[in-house]
Amino acid sequence: MATNQKKQSKSERAQALMRQQQRKERQRNLLVVGSVVVAVAIIAVVMVVVSGKNDTTGKAVTASGTPQNLTGAYNVVVGKSSAPTTIKVYEDLQCPICQQFEQAAGQQIQAAIADGKIKVDYHMVAFLDRSSSTEYSSRALNAAMAVLSTAGPDAFLRFHTIAYQNQPAEGSAGVPDSTLIDWAVQAGADKADVTPLIDDNAYHQWVVNATDQMSKDEVTGTPTVFINGKKYVSPQDALTAVIAATK
Amino acid sequence: MKHWIGVLARLIVGVVDVWAGVVKFPDPAANVRQVRAFQILPEAVVPTVGHALPTVEILIGAMLILGLLTRTFAVLAGIFFVAFIIGIASAWARGLEINCGCFGSHGVPADPHRQYAVDIARDLGLVICAVWLVVWPRTRLALDNLLFPHHERLADGDESEEAVEV
Repeated sequence: MATNQKKQSKSERAQALMRQQQRKERQRNLLVVGSVVVAVAIIAVVMVVVSGKNDTTGKAVTASGTPQNLTGAYNVVVGKSSAPTTIKVYEDLQCPICQQFEQAAGQQIQAAIADGKIKVDYHMVAFLDRSSSTEYSSRALNAAMAVLSTAGPDAFLRFHTIAYQNQPAEGSAGVPDSTLIDWAVQAGADKADVTPLIDDNAYHQWVVNATDQMSKDEVTGTPTVFINGKKYVSPQDALTAVIAATK
Repeated sequence: MKHWIGVLARLIVGVVDVWAGVVKFPDPAANVRQVRAFQILPEAVVPTVGHALPTVEILIGAMLILGLLTRTFAVLAGIFFVAFIIGIASAWARGLEINCGCFGSHGVPADPHRQYAVDIARDLGLVICAVWLVVWPRTRLALDNLLFPHHERLADGDESEEAVEV
């Protein structure tokens, strides 16, 4: 009888001890989980803030950082205002499909502009900076805007043609500023005028904002073509329609 | 065996997530455009979501690779993949021409419909891995084993009480 009681109290004590240990373990686990969660949250906040800081999209552009001779805020219309057909096009100077489009239709487009059949509303963007090691996409657009600013829409169109004819391959180092200046001069810009604009990447913030505007216009790829307001997303359909419109 | 399948599941989901996040991280503006392209979220939250996306991917992936709070982060990963699937499917249904942008790709793919199907299939595979880890979160080579050594089951925040009672 006495031994039985002893046994029971022993096992009770053992159970109490176990419960106490479990409580301790639970507290320790909560502490560990809590610390890990807090650490992850801190890292997350820091990374998101850094990511946000890296994005200058929407930052105000100064007067000297805004290209001259634009038609709207982020576009330039080339051609006679009386032309019955308006072709609106979103293009990136680094985009290979845009290059194919320009190679197939560029000459007809320019002839039709000259004949007063069409006017072209160029919305140039630069979202392919990661396709080159030198952010060619945005530097090339900056150079195109330098030409537009200092020499007008026709010179801009010539630069646009030269840039597509000499487009660097994706994944390459792009083209140095000195070459962009050469192209600008070839297009009819004054070397002394465009050199500082190209060297300083003067319109960079405008280029960033123009690219964001494309996304707000619900255009998600290039080339995207509108003919008198009708949207063509497939490059093949766009090409066929543009060729028809230039005839 | 189950424990090693869990390791594989952790590594698959973890590496894919970290990779997707690391590729996206350097171009926050592109991530914002990508989120906007789905035309699902209101513009007021689009920039925040775009900026947070790669961070969330990197952290979920890193926690799964480390095997730290495995079940909790497997749940988060699963929720994310399901959200992606819904986003892609809805973009597909609405005829939007977008690339999923999962790995920082750009431009409209040559054949968007095939691309949508491939993206959804990949995300479904990842959901299966995540579900496996939610059901069997105890795996080999996981920090959870060091931090919560005593119980057989996972010692996650929401599970620890149950686990201790076992």
